[in-house]
Amino acid sequence: MHKLGRYKESDRMSDLINDNYRTLSVLSRFNIPLGFEDREIGEVCRMNGVDTATFLAVVNILVDEEESCDGKYDFSLEAMIGYLHSSHDYFLDFRLPSIRTELTEALRKSRDDISQVIIRFFDDYCAEVRRHMEYEEQNVFPYVRGLIAGRRASEYNIDIFRKKHDQVEAKLAELKNIIIKYYPGNSTNELNAVLFDIFSCEQDLASHNRVEDALFVPAIVELEKNG
Amino acid sequence: MGRSVKIVVFEPSLIIRSGVLAVLRRLPSLDIQIEEIADAAQLPSSLRWHKPDILIVNPSVTARLSIPQLKAEAEQLRIVALLNSLADEEAMKSYDETITVYDTADRIAEKIMRLTDSKHNRDNTTNALSAREKEIVVGVVKGLTNKQIADSLFISTHTVITHRRNIAAKLQIHSAAGLTIYAIVNKLVEFDEISSLINRGEE
Repeated sequence: MHKLGRYKESDRMSDLINDNYRTLSVLSRFNIPLGFEDREIGEVCRMNGVDTATFLAVVNILVDEEESCDGKYDFSLEAMIGYLHSSHDYFLDFRLPSIRTELTEALRKSRDDISQVIIRFFDDYCAEVRRHMEYEEQNVFPYVRGLIAGRRASEYNIDIFRKKHDQVEAKLAELKNIIIKYYPGNSTNELNAVLFDIFSCEQDLASHNRVEDALFVPAIVELEKNG
Repeated sequence: MGRSVKIVVFEPSLIIRSGVLAVLRRLPSLDIQIEEIADAAQLPSSLRWHKPDILIVNPSVTARLSIPQLKAEAEQLRIVALLNSLADEEAMKSYDETITVYDTADRIAEKIMRLTDSKHNRDNTTNALSAREKEIVVGVVKGLTNKQIADSLFISTHTVITHRRNIAAKLQIHSAAGLTIYAIVNKLVEFDEISSLINRGEE
């Protein structure tokens, strides 16, 4: 059952995970190990040197799609950058490569030309995601770190990023739709498993973007105004 | 993709209104945007503001507001009476449709579809590509520009762009890479014809 309202420091970590298993990925991105017994969220965060406010901001926005943070950005931007960075690593170095492996395996019995164009599409897509995320790593994060340190960059502001920040999951959804609607071979367990993973990766990418659009960017706008 | 229908529900009873909303939200293949109104005073302004396709009302409360008056507030508005008891058939004739609290979900979906059909029948057309559209797909997949496709088919670039938009809408495929997969799967092109393009990135 979904809990109504936001998760708080005093809620149990294990309840959060059991109610919303997708928050598991947040744990690993914050480098929080499992095995937290019945400890509360705040305690687990402190034990692992994680900023609790940032952790809660991320899980609350992930758990509740409707959740808006009503202009309160009490999390640490430095910790948020750390989270976004490991989230990028997760997609680029773990999630997308593992889908590619699965996809190659599932398409092994398919017509050779079809598997080649599908894999090609996927590789192009991964390159696109990489460009998208590297832009953030190389332009946005350094800019924000500068702002935190009190430096103002005259040539950049977060509005530039906000305007060009596209929905990186759209093209993955397209691949999934093409396979679902037009794939000619038999439906196999392997292919279904990849589709499951693509559905879930698409959702993860959308949540990742939501953290950026609804938490990260507005907090930077605030910082720009007050800095 | 379901079609999009905007519905305003006017029913003062919270319990009945919540029930109608819950059923509407779960109707398959319809993308419904719903606004709820509990107070008759808000009805005219809400219709003006939201411009819904359909208004679902409890007829016993609308008695004070005439149907033509309501229809004047939003263009092409269809009005559906929501019945929770026996009603005078004659009085119901002025409504476009009636839904009773005993209707099944399928029945309600059917009625709503029927009401919106005339407006949305463009979405109902078949998704199969025409011969001309297939030729355009082949051009795109071979890496030709719109201008080159236009020249080879003796049509204007503008027409090519229109075709491409229709193709994207029919197939729900928006990228050239996606069209390549579609073309290969449906044997519109041979792999050999495009393999040089596909492997371009690796050289």
